[in-house]
Order: sequence, then structure tokens, then C-alpha cells
Amino acid sequence: MQLKSGWLTMNSKQKTKDIIIRTTTYVTSFISVFVLASILIFVLVEGLPLLNFDIIMGDHHHTYLPGVKIPYTATDSYYEYTPKAGEYYSPRYGVAFKDEQTLEGEPIIELTYVAQNSPFSRAIGIGNHAGEIYALEVGQVFMSGILLWSDDYFTEGGSINPDATTIPYQVSEGAKRFAEALEETFYIATIAPVILGGGIRGSIITTLYLIVLTLVIALPVGILSALYIHELAPQNWFTDFLRSLIDMLTGVPSIIYGLMGAAFFIPLAQSMFSNRIDSGSIISGAMTLSVIVLPVIIRSTESALDVVPKDYKLASLALGANETQTIFKVMLPNALPGILSASLLAIGRIMGESAALIFAIGTVITDDVSIFRQGTSLAVHIWASMASENPNFALAATISIILLVVVLSINLLIKLITYKFMKRFR
Amino acid sequence: MAIAFNVENLNFYYEDKQALKNITMQIKKSEITAFIGPSGCGKSTFIRTLNRMNDLIQGTRVEGKIEYEGQDIYDKKSDVIELRTRVGMVFQKPNPFPMSIYDNIAYGPRAHGIKDKNTLDSIVEDSLQKAALWNEVKDDLKKSALALSGGQQQRLCIARTLALKPEVILMDEPTSALDPVGTIKIEELILELKKEYTIVIVTHNMQQAARISDKTAFFYMGEIIEFDETSKIFTNPAKEQTEDYITGKFG
Repeated sequence: MQLKSGWLTMNSKQKTKDIIIRTTTYVTSFISVFVLASILIFVLVEGLPLLNFDIIMGDHHHTYLPGVKIPYTATDSYYEYTPKAGEYYSPRYGVAFKDEQTLEGEPIIELTYVAQNSPFSRAIGIGNHAGEIYALEVGQVFMSGILLWSDDYFTEGGSINPDATTIPYQVSEGAKRFAEALEETFYIATIAPVILGGGIRGSIITTLYLIVLTLVIALPVGILSALYIHELAPQNWFTDFLRSLIDMLTGVPSIIYGLMGAAFFIPLAQSMFSNRIDSGSIISGAMTLSVIVLPVIIRSTESALDVVPKDYKLASLALGANETQTIFKVMLPNALPGILSASLLAIGRIMGESAALIFAIGTVITDDVSIFRQGTSLAVHIWASMASENPNFALAATISIILLVVVLSINLLIKLITYKFMKRFR
Repeated sequence: MAIAFNVENLNFYYEDKQALKNITMQIKKSEITAFIGPSGCGKSTFIRTLNRMNDLIQGTRVEGKIEYEGQDIYDKKSDVIELRTRVGMVFQKPNPFPMSIYDNIAYGPRAHGIKDKNTLDSIVEDSLQKAALWNEVKDDLKKSALALSGGQQQRLCIARTLALKPEVILMDEPTSALDPVGTIKIEELILELKKEYTIVIVTHNMQQAARISDKTAFFYMGEIIEFDETSKIFTNPAKEQTEDYITGKFG
């Protein structure tokens, strides 16, 4: 049979349709990838400059060190130091400073260099700490309270000059002026060093506490529930009903769990540890999180048990082992990698949860973490730093980077474990 | 010869479907009894009723009576653990646990509370000897059982069953997943084990039944069509269906 010429060429209408559909899929997938990438880039650009060890290990609140006085003592040799850009150096005291700002935008002066034998390393406490020697350290800042006496503080004979003049100086005048003022002074009567806050150590520790406590509560309960549903319960409509209830629980908005935490777990934690807890606490937060991660743990443990070959169970029972022995010696050990990834999944959920915790623990950022008190997880710290009067975007982005890195590595780890686990039984 | 299993009017149901119809038979001690028949004829279902492995399947129901050593095994007071200890089972697919060879063999004895290392050692060696696997694995007892070949794994599974010192060994198509060499070794082993144990074997392979068994039962559609001496079944069957099956007209 003779075919019409051009039988192999595509119908032009079909061709156009094909192109349109393809372009649409390309464009839409590009949009989602683009949005994801821009979020990541945005967070990195905003947060990376702030990301350093001090932020991670630092306190959130400023630490006000005791006020000190610093008398000038003449030395034989001059202090030698070449100030870097932005630094101002006082040869007389052997110290250098630079202008800084607090996270709230207040001007401060940061100590950037202290010579080995500088009077600043032999400051003398005043007030309650009178007589104690303090060494002022690089990184400490001054926010207020500097009283400088001028060179006429002592008379020629060595006694205190009653008419001595003070050098007027405010921190807001800047580091340059401070360095100049130091050159004129003989005696710093009060200066109050401050270790600047803004760190997230407290929130990191709180997050770790929450992870540990939540897993301690949720893992045993979740694993035993999964064992019951998968191994022991009769597989009838009621068990199926239980299963779908658990599935539904994973979909409940976490703010509702938060309400439950506020209404139920805070009082429960209070009555469990009477007199030690007066409002939300890490304990009530962990209880709330346990409820949130329980469905995740139950369902992934169940699917891990599903993967364990039925042959193992049959073999064990055929060898005269009873059901409990079979569960704990054969089923559970073989499901262990699955349970491990269930816990990692739970950890990811715990780290990311914020809404529920705002109700169940509160939003008070603390440095001195106790499971009986309020605290913030990293996610809530982000919320708190954005919800304050001066939203601190940089800090929020920095914490986001930490959260993202941890959660993404957890996800990779889960993939790896699951891959190894599945391969084992194939 | 003494009777191991006495089955009377056994009916077995999966949900509403009847899988076994009026099975009545006696399985004698120290013999090899083979069950043959086409797929889905109920032979595997039947062998599993003998140590109550079907209990694990939801929605099954048993009617009638199976007596082992004069005891009704489906009686409410029967101890199914004790039954499965005395009536061991080897499955179609070799299914060693993902543990060491040693731990596989020791699993059953340990589940029964044996903890003494020396006792376990001797059980492991003894069982592996009986399963003709000792010489091949004696130096790698700590190695994972999954590293063994299919035939070795199946002999390990037999050894694992022997470790419980059973009286009867049920074998559900033990060679169907093995190559010819593995199959021959298992067959030799079965003939060797016959001296001490009562063996019931389900097989797809008629030659296998003819080679090793003393008695053969032909199952079809959940019923026993014919049960007799193996030589008689394969040379002079009484029923036409049996003849059709063993001559390969169907199945």
C-alpha cells in the first residue's frame, strides 16, 4: 500500500499543543525552583555575616560586669600597637577601640586591643567589688558610665586635687574621642565593661533539651504503640480506624497542639513538679512536642515493621519462640534502622516547631536554661527576634541557617539509612 | 508402625473459601510422607495445620480434628509453643535470620531458656553436623548467615529446626528455591534424617516425591484424592486423576 507523502511529519496542531504543555511545565517548575533558591540565598546573604562562634556560644542578654576604676601607672616603655582601620588607639593606656552598635542600634565602644601590661588589665573593682582586680578583655564593650578625671587629679605633691576637673565624655561621642580623652586623663574613675548579648546559646541548649526530653517521652510510647498496632492487635476495622486516626493527627495544625499544651500540659507539668514550675516550662513543651511527633513515630515504625520480611516472624514462631520473643528478638532489631529514621524525622519536626511552643513554653529567651522554666527553641527564637520592637532580621536569618543546615543533614541521613535498610532485605 | 498424626474430617477455611475438604489421614512415625498436587490444591495449607502455623493468618477457621501423639492439637488447652517445638518446620524460601550462623542455630534453644554457653555450643555443633553443614561452616560460625549460598542457607534452616530436637520435621517445598546441586544435597539430608525423625514434605517435584518418600498423598482442589505407598502411587495409581497428574496431563 502506498502511504501519503508526509505521513511521518507531526500534525502541526498536535505539535503546538505539545510545545505549550512542555513550556508550561518548564516555566512552573522553574518558578518553584527559583523561589526555593531565592529563599536560601536570601537567608544566606542576610545571615552569614553574623554567623560566628560568638553568636552560637554567646548569651542572649548583655552581661554587665562590675564597674571598675583604672588609675594610670607610668611605665618605662611605651605600648606599641598599629591600629587597624576603624580602630582608635591610646598609646598612654595601650588599648584600642572601635565604634560598634548593639543589635538594637545603640552606639557602643568595643575594646579591640589590650596591651599585655596595660592598666586596663589591672582594673580595680568599685562598689561591692572594691579592691578586686579585673582584666578587661578584647570584645568587651562600653555602653555608658565612663568618668574620666583629667591630668590635674593629683597635685604636684601627690595628694588629690580637690579642684580636679573631669573630662566630659559620652559613649555616643564615639571611639575616636574616647581615645583622645584617654590621652588626657590620669584616672578613670568608673568604667563599666559589658559582654554584649545577642547570642543563641540558651536557645540551642533549650532545643537540645527539648529534643532529648521529647524523644524520651515519645519514642517508647510510639514504638510500643506501633508494635501493638502492627503485631499484637487483631487486624480488624477497629485497628484500621486507629490507624486512620493516627494519620489524621499528623495533619492537625500544630497551633492546636499548642493550645492543648497551654490548657493541659502546663498544668500537668506544674502538678507533677509542684512548686518548681510557675508557668510554661521546657517540660510542658516537651510533652506537647511528644504529642506532635507521636503519630510520625508510630507510622514510620509501623512501616519499618512492614519491611521486615514475614519469613523472619514465621521462622521464629516455627522455632517455638512465643510472640513476645519474636517481637523483641526478631521484629524490633530488624526494624531498628527504620525506628532510627523515625527518630530523626521527629528531631526535624521538633527543631522546626514554633507555633505550638509559643503557647506551651513561652517566648522568653533565657541564657540560664532549666527544664523547669521557660525558654525558646531556635525556631521560637527566630519568631521572638522578629516579633520584638526592633525586628532583627540578620539574627533571624543566622538562626535560620543553623536550622536549615541541621534539618537538611538530618534529611540526608534519613535517606541514607532508609536506602541501606531497604537494600538489606532485597 | 506407630502413628504420629491422626487427622479426621479436617475442614479449613480462609474467610469464606474452603481450602481443605474432609481430610482424613494418618501419618506414620519414622517415615517420609510426601504431599503432591497442583498449585492451590491445599497441600501447603494442610502441612501448616500440622503445627498450627495457619493460626497466624487472620480470618482462618479449622473444623475437625488433628491429633498428634494422641493429643488434639487444636484443643484450647494445647500449648502451641510446645507443639511447634516438637513439630518443626522448614520453609520454601530459605529464611535464616540476619544474624550469625551460630546465633541462628542458637535462636530456638535460647528462646526456650537455654543460656549455658557450653550447652549451646554443643547444640550448634550437633545440629550443624546432622544437617551436613558443619564441615562447610565450622570456621565461620560468627559469619552472617546471609553470606551462605541458597542451599547452605536451607540446610542452616534445617539445622536450626533440629536444634530444638523435634520429633517431626515439616518441609514446605524445601528445594523449590534451590539449584540442582543444592536440591540433591537436601534430598540426601532428608533421607539421612529419616532415621531419627518423622518427615512430612510438600513438593512440586514429582520425581522428588518418588525418590525420597515412603508414602505419597495426592491433593487436588482441597481434597486428598489418593494416599498410598509411594511406589504404588507412581506405578499403579488407583484413581484416574492421580494418574493424569503424575503423567503430566495437567498441573
